Amino acid sequence: MKARTASLLLMAPALLLLAAVFLYPLLLYGWLSFQASSVLTGLEPVPNGGANWGRLLDDARFWTDAFQTLRFAVCSVALELVGGLGLALLLHRPLRGRGTLRALTLLPWALPTTVMALGWRWILNDPHGPLNAAIRFLGGSSYGFLSTPATTWFFVVLADVWKTLPFVGLLLLAGLQTIPEDLEEALRLEGAGRLQILRRLTLPLLVPYLALAVLFRLAQALGVFDLIQVLSGGGPAGSTESLALYAYLNAMRFLDFGYAATVMLATFLLLLVLVGGSWWLWRRGDLQGRREGAA
Amino acid sequence: MAARPPFSSLRRWRSLPKLLTTGLLALLSATVLLVLLPASGLSSSGMSASPVAAADPVTVRVLMPAPLADAVAAPVAQFNASSPGVVLEVIRGPLDTETISDLATGSLLLGEVPFDLLLVDVSWLARYVAAGWFEPLERWFGPEVLAAMEAGARLGNGLDGHLWRMPLTGDTGLLYWRTDLMERPPRDTEELVAISRDLQRRGRVRWGYLWQGRQYEGLSCVMVEVLHGFGARWWNGSTARTELDSPEAVAAAQWLAALLQDGVSPQAVASYAENDALQSFAAGDAAFLRNWPYAWREIEKGGGPVKGKVGVTAMVGAPGEQGGGTLGTWGLSLIKGSPHPEEAVAAIRWLTGPVVQRQLAIEQGYAPTWSTLYDDPDLQRRAPLLTVQRQALQHPQLRPPTPAYAQLSDLLARQVNGMLTGQGGSGSTMAAAQRQSLQVLRSLAGPAGDTADGRPAVDR
Repeated sequence: MKARTASLLLMAPALLLLAAVFLYPLLLYGWLSFQASSVLTGLEPVPNGGANWGRLLDDARFWTDAFQTLRFAVCSVALELVGGLGLALLLHRPLRGRGTLRALTLLPWALPTTVMALGWRWILNDPHGPLNAAIRFLGGSSYGFLSTPATTWFFVVLADVWKTLPFVGLLLLAGLQTIPEDLEEALRLEGAGRLQILRRLTLPLLVPYLALAVLFRLAQALGVFDLIQVLSGGGPAGSTESLALYAYLNAMRFLDFGYAATVMLATFLLLLVLVGGSWWLWRRGDLQGRREGAA
Repeated sequence: MAARPPFSSLRRWRSLPKLLTTGLLALLSATVLLVLLPASGLSSSGMSASPVAAADPVTVRVLMPAPLADAVAAPVAQFNASSPGVVLEVIRGPLDTETISDLATGSLLLGEVPFDLLLVDVSWLARYVAAGWFEPLERWFGPEVLAAMEAGARLGNGLDGHLWRMPLTGDTGLLYWRTDLMERPPRDTEELVAISRDLQRRGRVRWGYLWQGRQYEGLSCVMVEVLHGFGARWWNGSTARTELDSPEAVAAAQWLAALLQDGVSPQAVASYAENDALQSFAAGDAAFLRNWPYAWREIEKGGGPVKGKVGVTAMVGAPGEQGGGTLGTWGLSLIKGSPHPEEAVAAIRWLTGPVVQRQLAIEQGYAPTWSTLYDDPDLQRRAPLLTVQRQALQHPQLRPPTPAYAQLSDLLARQVNGMLTGQGGSGSTMAAAQRQSLQVLRSLAGPAGDTADGRPAVDR
């Protein structure tokens, strides 16, 4: 009992800080989302009877952005998982200079997002960027990669994958290293092929790490802001705008803090449902697996 | 071995979240301590700027979009040479109007404003004034100052009985036409379409009319003109509500949709901003163009196929209606809390004065605001658009002068662009725009949004 009190005491500052930086803003947002707090009210909160939420339901921009954010998150996280797994398997193999290679792959992850987004914007510049220079060198003509919705979206996803692939790869590599080698050897002795080992042994044992990567990355990708703000500004014509960017614009450009809080809170709820849902699914699968294992 | 359940080795992993949590909590605790401990020591050493010596010149900083900053570089140097004790420093902001507003808003919200003066687009004024960021200017500029300006240039500077901005430019949306394809410009929208179709039929030109249909604020400027040209209005200043679903407003939207359906305007107009439309017009693709005054200089400077073959006229309306271009003026406002307002106002006086405006008109094609400049024969010769610009300034159209303009513009541009790309008819488009506008106003203003007791309109 004493140890419990002591540990609680030791954790108290951290818990207080967590409450201050997570719980308090959340409650504040909840309250603010039922207020008009805009230039029309002199930036003072005035209750508006849920008008923000009514507006949200009919706000085409919010739902378009929700769809775009989800599409971005699902596509980039899926690509990162597949690519990260490949990277992890590659780096797990005994190679010469493996340490250096592992360090090198971390470079994109170490770069600040704004810097790397600026870099991509320059690469894609029409007509002065290196990509367009290469196209012209090959006899083509310059293309406005960042003025066409489809290509802009593609490169936003690509930039995100390029940056966070090493993170996923390293996480999965750590998972790979927990798998005892004798298990693999035993399977191989019994005649299992490489793909079979991957499917029957490696992947099932990697599931917790995959789940961790998905949770981390999904939460990050659903809140994507800096990459899009710098690379495309949400354009062209809002085709790459994310929910976080929309909330930012509501607060900073429109000075509409009540609605910005509503958008932020709605985004949080969507995120909660998504992440909570995937966690629940995984747990269910995990329990089922264990029950089957015990049977 | 094979009987071993596949998830049994997870037990080892199960300690990972615990480890992570413990680590995180430890880190956070350490952070709290680190933040709390040195705070008391730091507070005294933070703000200790040395007092400014009396002989040091006062620096007045003004934030402007880069092109305008470059355009006023010479007059600024002149000002600095002739005013000892004051240094006027121009901060070159981003080119894009919304980006520079974001930049300014960011500083203003934080309360640490690195500039004394801001060059303000007419569409920002209501929002910035409502946020309480500007200092009224009537102390320095009496009614006689504005009275010496063209009627249109006086609009969009005052609100709630105060003067918040001194206009530097008097730009309005203009209609460009090809002098090699027609005798005279069209007088109304019907003539514009008729001339276009005739020229297209005879193979003289590929497209009739180019304008800005992309989903952005430029489309809202087009909408202001078309709505007014069809006898509709976007914003009712006395009720502080939008009127986008009126039959006239639907007819206006229908006219734009028909331009694309009938091939008078290309489908690509739905993705055109000012410069896209200008490039295509300058390449000789079309008979008409809607743009701002700067486009004329660009066409003449560029030396393309239509150089010397372009006329400019005031924006046309439907038959029997008075047309009018959207007012797109810039002006200087004084930031509240500026430490040296007197020096800053001296800079406003100089920058918005006739000398600078004259130079902007000659070099950049910006419309002046002072009536005397329009009467100057020398300037008339060197700035050929002057007569048309003065004519356009007699009936300019304001964008809705409400602090909520940015949101209203966003949703109207979204809806109309959707209509242009075939996602709905004019009736349903304008009905949705009206419904969403009222929702926005209600959510912005609280209960006041319902009773339509908004703020009074600018200068109305």
